[in-house]
Amino acid sequence: MATSTHSAAAASVARPSRSLLQDVMRRLFKDPVVVLCVLYLSVLIVVAINPSAFAPLSYETTSFPDKLAPPGAYATSEKLTGFRYLFGADRLGRDILSRLIYGTRVSMAVAFLGAGISFLIGVTYGLVAGYSRARIDNVMMRIVDIIYAYPTLILIILLQVFLTSLAQQPAESLNAFQTLLVTLDTRSGGLFFVFVAIGAVSWLNMARLTRGQTLHYRQQEFVQAAHLVGATDRRIMGRHLLPNIIGTCIVAETLAIPAYIYTEAFLSFIGLGVQPPMPSWGSMIADGYGALRSAPHVIFFPALALSLTMLAFNFLGDAIRDAMDPRLRNR
Amino acid sequence: MRRNHLWYGLALLLVLLVLAACTAAPAAPGEANAPAAPATSGEALTLRLATVSEPSTLDPNLAEDYYSITPIEQMFLGLTNINNATSEIEPELAESWTVSDDGTVWTFNLRQDVKWSDGNPVTANDIVYSVRRAVMPETASPYAYVLYSIKNAAAINQTEIPTATYDIESLGVKALDDYTVEFTLESPAAYFESISSMWTLRPVPSWAIEQFGDAWTDPANIVVNGPYKLVEWRPGEKLIFEKNPDYFAADNVQIDRVELNIITDQFTEVALYEKGELDVAGEGAASLPAEEVARILADPVLSAEFHQGPRASTTYVGFTMTKPPFDNVLVRKAFSAAIDRETMVRDVVGSGVPATQFAPPGIFGAPDPEVGLGYDPEQAKAWLAEAGYPDGAGFPTVTYRYFSNSLEEALAQALQAMWKETLNVDVQLEAQEFPVFLASTAPDVPVEEMPEMWRLGWGADYPDENNWVYEVFHCTDSQNRPRAACTEADAKAKQAGIETDPEVRKALYAEVEQLMFGEEVRVAPYYHRGYTILTKPYLQRAYPTFAPVNWDTWRIEK
Amino acid sequence: MLRVIIRRLLWFIPVFFVVTGLTFVTMHALPGGPFDSDKTPPALIQQMEEVFGLNRPVPEQYLIWLSNVAQLKFGPSLSARGKPVEGFLLPGLAVSAQLGLFALLFALAVGVPAGITAAMHRGSWRDRSATLVAIIGVSVPAIVLGPVLQYIFALQLGWLPVAQWESLSAGLIPYLSHIILPAVTLGAGLSAIIARLTRASMLSVLGEDYIRTAHAKGLARRTVTVRHALRNALIPVVTYLGPLAAAVLTGSLVVEQIFAIPGMGRYFVSSISARDYPMVMAVVVLYALIIVGVNLVVDILYTVIDPRIGHGN
Repeated sequence: MATSTHSAAAASVARPSRSLLQDVMRRLFKDPVVVLCVLYLSVLIVVAINPSAFAPLSYETTSFPDKLAPPGAYATSEKLTGFRYLFGADRLGRDILSRLIYGTRVSMAVAFLGAGISFLIGVTYGLVAGYSRARIDNVMMRIVDIIYAYPTLILIILLQVFLTSLAQQPAESLNAFQTLLVTLDTRSGGLFFVFVAIGAVSWLNMARLTRGQTLHYRQQEFVQAAHLVGATDRRIMGRHLLPNIIGTCIVAETLAIPAYIYTEAFLSFIGLGVQPPMPSWGSMIADGYGALRSAPHVIFFPALALSLTMLAFNFLGDAIRDAMDPRLRNR
Repeated sequence: MRRNHLWYGLALLLVLLVLAACTAAPAAPGEANAPAAPATSGEALTLRLATVSEPSTLDPNLAEDYYSITPIEQMFLGLTNINNATSEIEPELAESWTVSDDGTVWTFNLRQDVKWSDGNPVTANDIVYSVRRAVMPETASPYAYVLYSIKNAAAINQTEIPTATYDIESLGVKALDDYTVEFTLESPAAYFESISSMWTLRPVPSWAIEQFGDAWTDPANIVVNGPYKLVEWRPGEKLIFEKNPDYFAADNVQIDRVELNIITDQFTEVALYEKGELDVAGEGAASLPAEEVARILADPVLSAEFHQGPRASTTYVGFTMTKPPFDNVLVRKAFSAAIDRETMVRDVVGSGVPATQFAPPGIFGAPDPEVGLGYDPEQAKAWLAEAGYPDGAGFPTVTYRYFSNSLEEALAQALQAMWKETLNVDVQLEAQEFPVFLASTAPDVPVEEMPEMWRLGWGADYPDENNWVYEVFHCTDSQNRPRAACTEADAKAKQAGIETDPEVRKALYAEVEQLMFGEEVRVAPYYHRGYTILTKPYLQRAYPTFAPVNWDTWRIEK
Repeated sequence: MLRVIIRRLLWFIPVFFVVTGLTFVTMHALPGGPFDSDKTPPALIQQMEEVFGLNRPVPEQYLIWLSNVAQLKFGPSLSARGKPVEGFLLPGLAVSAQLGLFALLFALAVGVPAGITAAMHRGSWRDRSATLVAIIGVSVPAIVLGPVLQYIFALQLGWLPVAQWESLSAGLIPYLSHIILPAVTLGAGLSAIIARLTRASMLSVLGEDYIRTAHAKGLARRTVTVRHALRNALIPVVTYLGPLAAAVLTGSLVVEQIFAIPGMGRYFVSSISARDYPMVMAVVVLYALIIVGVNLVVDILYTVIDPRIGHGN
């Protein structure tokens, strides 16, 4: 939202009455769907911050006889007398609802941080490159090309294996920077390295997309006009180009969120992500694959949670895009 | 004009498509060395099987994994064979064999009617060549160690090439004549009969290897002496075998053609089976997942075609015996007795047999009924209390390390939950990528970097206890991963391998199993893996516990 | 145009050295080796590493590898002993390329019209439902979509094969029937991405002056959309095609696994976890080649679609 306060309407210079932010907000919340999406995402964030307040059981409470119990079934073990598995139980007899609630934490963190890192770095990089053109653009995009030509998965795995092997070395053999990395990782329960790995590769697409869009818009009359009236480069990028491309970028970024969530799940699956039994939506989906035909509910609920979250992000992205579109302001 | 540009773009896509199709056409094998149209001849009986992984090699001297050994078994004959139905050693290339009185000289008399598929006779020299090749350090055979009981094999194999040299003539194998081969062993070894069935020392065609090098097992070059011959290998897709008309017992082989499809995903394999596109499912895989087994058992059709039983493989928890608190035998006992083996097998794995000892049923010398330590929660609590941690009080957080895959993850979490439930101790799980796991739990890792507990497993190389307690746990002659100090159990394990009387051997092994896993608790075996196989009703076959299957004994009766 | 192509190709040289050098060093720095096993005695593992030249200093090994590559030899795979890695990768590439193309075509055929429709009827039920379908497409993972399609169309309806690959030489019908389900599974997520991108950029284009001018001139709505708006709206889509093409070529591991397709996706993961150094190196080189190639095509498409974007600086 910070960027939006700076961005004024594209070609029109004089527009004194309302601030853009107020304007955007007003139009954003006119739509009931948007209100619903914001509510849903807020609930997720609250749940992610303190899952133990909402989860009926711990994520590791195991009751083997209840394995793959269908939604609504009652627990059979004495300890859990009267307990009902609202969403059913997984292959080790753990409450899926509770695990879903705890899984929100990891998945939300990955989704927000992955998207945030990718968006910030990618959009800035792509905007500067696309606007500069010529030599700077060339150098910047060649750097992207090099990282790009490196298979993402290999890069992530190499990074992860390398970082986790650091964590296993005796503390005295590490230098200060390595120690910092390892500390951050243990403090975050193994999540930090996942962010590093995802962040390192995820901004590339965004940078290329932003550059492509910038290339397109900088040809347009309103940018040339701004040049003529003596606007600075920063002003042109921030006020004229960004508002035009940000919608496409937001939508593209939200579409990348499942990829981050699955990357985390994949990393967990090959032993490089969050250590079990701590759940994440991605790892719950991976777990549920085995029971796809015998107990589909195991995969259904985490997949549903993921879809709903994506949907919320996307409707919101669309709405923000529309609300910020300078050309639509008078309609 | 502008519109043309758009069409130009579309055309470019089309060109790409055509290009891809073109590159695909020559890459698709099939036409080049396809056999004489077996698909069209209605008579040819085809068996459609699946394997989870591509064979890594078809060279008997180099093979080490199940996926490679299965096709090798069909193409290359052993001195002896393990009968699929009875698990007994039976003659194959060797018609008979004798052992010297001191048990160190083994003489095998070969059949004289066995030919290679290029017409050459199979002779004792082929065996000598094969054993020498397997042992020579330049070959770098990962399985050379199973031949270490042959005189000088270990010394030759561990020569530090290229700086040091060795004398291959000193290896304890020689051809007395074309059809008699003699092995001289380092010391008496009753289990050598089992070893003689192994793929590592099966005769290989020296002339083909010298001519084609590594490519000798390619379909165009391969020379075999068994019931089937590889005719086509499409990487990542399938291997196709056809009946070898030159096999000496070709008349007894019913199935003309076998397709070994590479199907990585077990659920896809079952789906293909249900659709009737495979005749067998689950054969070339680790056991099917518990969820899938449950579904099969609930299905009236599938459950009738489902077969399960023990496979010669054991999964167990390793303890670092030199690292506190697991240097205390009471702690090890408590952790072993806290594992609810029945639940593990029934609810978590879905197949297999609960284990309290190391060697599974079907292995010579494995005590029956099982000895060792089983699930006993009250006793486990008592032991932990006796060790100074009543109800887990004051017990440090310890680590269980394993490698990541779906089953291991479930097992690790189940173990963690069981230890928490019974002993009230916190065990931290540490999943690692497989090679990292191997490197970080290797026998030479400093004890401070070792986890307190970690995942271990063992599958039989040959069906004899020597391959289990002695080769895995002997305090000096094995890798001794738990880092145990030598006790009477080690001496007895060694003695049992040298003894020639089967009954004496069995008695010794029973003692060793009880000592190692019931008293000292070097590790906690908790289940023997099982096979879970679906077979169409028209296919008659055996389900071996240990040996690779023999397709030549299978019958299709439609 | 020719200059662009040549420059792109020359560009491959530095990419090659940076990427391969980096991979070589990091791969060898990873714990574990190709012959590690819990069965093989350590002395024997040492021996095998000696035979395959893995005990030499890493820079020396890299130079040896370079000189082999100069002769177009990528070495024997360490996990499939004795078999040259090209023997696995090239047939796999051919299969993956076909699967990827069909997936891309499917994604474009569904995504572009869906995106246009959504943009033309912004805010309506059509727009919302297109979004809904697109999001479901992108958030239902291949490991769910694949088996579900398999179950419905192969096991229940029996219209299509469950899995496996059939080459074109076996006939067009078997070829296509085997490729449909995996291509749809692989393309579903992509079509969602393409639909959303098309919608977003179509909307910005529709608001621009020249479109209004065109409307004002009294041109038919359809003509305006196709002739003027679509071309510009496709620019971000084309930008994304490069990454998408690379993703379908290499990221098809899960789909290949579910449908038992002999593509090359598996080698991207298995070679790393098997520490099969020659295979990893070949995969990395191949991948870099694909990326450079795809970028080249995208650059050409750019100039085709938007002639104003020149490359002459």
